[in-house]
Amino acid sequence: MIEVRGLRKSFNKIEVLRGIDFTARNGEITGLIGPNGAGKTTTLRMLYTVLRPDGGQAFVDGHDANIERLTVQRRIGVLPDNRGLYPRLTAREHVRYFGRLHGLGGPELESRIDRLVERLGMEDFADRRSKGFSKGQTLKVALARALVHEPANVILDEPTNGLDIGSSRAVRELIREIRDQGRCVLFSSHIMGEVEALCDRVIVISDGLIVANGKPEELRQATGEGDLEDVFLATIRQAEAASPNAGGSTSRA
Amino acid sequence: MLVVVRAVRNIWIVFLKESIDNLRDRRSLFLALIYPVIGALLLGMLVSFVGGMFRGQGDSTLHLPVAGAERAPALISHLESKGVIIRPAPVDPRRAVRRGEADAVLVIPGGHAEKFAAQRTARLNMVVNATRLSTVIKVSRVVGLLRDYGREVGQQRLRAHGVDPGVAAPLEIRSTNVGRSRNLAGFFLNMLPPFIIFTIFVGGVYLAIDTTSGERERGSLEPLLANPVPRWQFMLGKAMATFAFTLTAVLVQLLAFKIMFEIVAAGEFGIKINPGLGAFIGVALLCLPLIGFAVALQIIVATVSRSYKETQTYLGLLPLLPSLPGMILVFVPVKAQIWMMAIPTFGQILLIGRLMRQETAVWLHIGVSVAATTLITTLLLAGAAHLYNRDRMLFGG
Repeated sequence: MIEVRGLRKSFNKIEVLRGIDFTARNGEITGLIGPNGAGKTTTLRMLYTVLRPDGGQAFVDGHDANIERLTVQRRIGVLPDNRGLYPRLTAREHVRYFGRLHGLGGPELESRIDRLVERLGMEDFADRRSKGFSKGQTLKVALARALVHEPANVILDEPTNGLDIGSSRAVRELIREIRDQGRCVLFSSHIMGEVEALCDRVIVISDGLIVANGKPEELRQATGEGDLEDVFLATIRQAEAASPNAGGSTSRA
Repeated sequence: MLVVVRAVRNIWIVFLKESIDNLRDRRSLFLALIYPVIGALLLGMLVSFVGGMFRGQGDSTLHLPVAGAERAPALISHLESKGVIIRPAPVDPRRAVRRGEADAVLVIPGGHAEKFAAQRTARLNMVVNATRLSTVIKVSRVVGLLRDYGREVGQQRLRAHGVDPGVAAPLEIRSTNVGRSRNLAGFFLNMLPPFIIFTIFVGGVYLAIDTTSGERERGSLEPLLANPVPRWQFMLGKAMATFAFTLTAVLVQLLAFKIMFEIVAAGEFGIKINPGLGAFIGVALLCLPLIGFAVALQIIVATVSRSYKETQTYLGLLPLLPSLPGMILVFVPVKAQIWMMAIPTFGQILLIGRLMRQETAVWLHIGVSVAATTLITTLLLAGAAHLYNRDRMLFGG
């Protein structure tokens, strides 16, 4: 379970996050949506411990991500915005490296790698060096290394970004599968169709604030819009009208 | 205890990954190992060239073109008795020497015989070209022979007049060289420390850049840092991989130097310098803390730089700084003081020089150098760990 309370973050005196609260529950897929520069990636980065918040707290299974870093890191699997690979290592070696950093090893680790290779359909390139991998292949390797320690909480930053239809669908199936195992999935996206198809709960973030939070059907009722894309645009318009700080989109650091 | 075991394991995993990754980068590896060999090769060629030059002029028979030899038969026979082969002079001695057709020409001017017979000062002209360094030794040998002859004749004349020749020679100057090796050999040995220092600072630099700036630029740093490993352990694993490859480059270079010295000492170059294996092992041990120092500096620079390119620029300049004192020491040797040993790089340059020249190295000096550099390296690594912990680690700067 992931909980965020009053989270704030500034870069070069520009406030990117202005105090946000939300909860992502186990056995649910929570989608974080918002325009570019709204603060989605910054929020996730503080959750997966690579940035420190200026204010507020981020908890994973009750552990503060800023204080109990290692405990939190053991409980999360992360697919960051940056998902670069090492060109001279094979796909399998990438997964093994991360597995070992999680304290795994021996036949146990190897059988986990084999399962992931099979589950993600990586057989063709599992033993090839990653130089020249396609976007889809790169994503599969990045997912495999994020999931090798079977984390209870999975954080994915725009997982289907740049993928073709087939690969996107495979990723969506995987996300549902993780949810059905009772794990907590938090992912960010700006593709409405994807959010609509996947999410049990939607959190709309705009200009560093949460402007809507609920189940897709609740949001539809609240705004009176039938389509989630219209819901999204309506909530953002309302927020902009209410906030004097509106329209100032901050760039991703 | 468990924490320590886990830390060692994590550092080892990172070290292993970076080492394997780098071993597969064949081109960088090849370039990194070819430089130390080239250094030894260049120095070996220089030693044989200069040594051959000196030897050829110092020992071989001297050919000397003489114009007007018939005017001073006694001088000519004196020169011949000293092994000089007298040749007829070219038509235009000045032109011939300027063009390099002759190294030097002795011109005995008209009226020489008469003045000599009258026991007055009789002039001799040496036509030389001082801009041609290769003739310096030859010219000085000829001039020396002529002076000896002049002094001998002068002493005979004084005795003939009943005067003690000592009256006209108030000073007799002799110099004694107490350097343990030949001075030329010493000069070459002084060139070793800058080569070794340079290798220490560039031998693994590509790895320091690739594992920090490169990791960031590839976008693989962010997922890596999300793993349950304290960041200083990532830093140390990467530093150790850089250390290992730098050490390899330094060892390759020392081996190349040793082989070069064996060849030079065995050859007929007139230079007998060959520091023993012990000296080389001493140098390798002395270099260990300095390699750590160089690696820590590289990691810090790579961490605070904004891009791969920026890092490369800074780290390209880095080896120039520590090499400077060594370059100066080649020409202006200084007396080793104990406080100098506490300065990383400078102390090692002095001590490597001592070990290579087979002078007695002061154990206290070696101890101070090793301790001071190790301490400074530890502080730098702590600084690097601090930098790894900042938010900015992710973005650079």
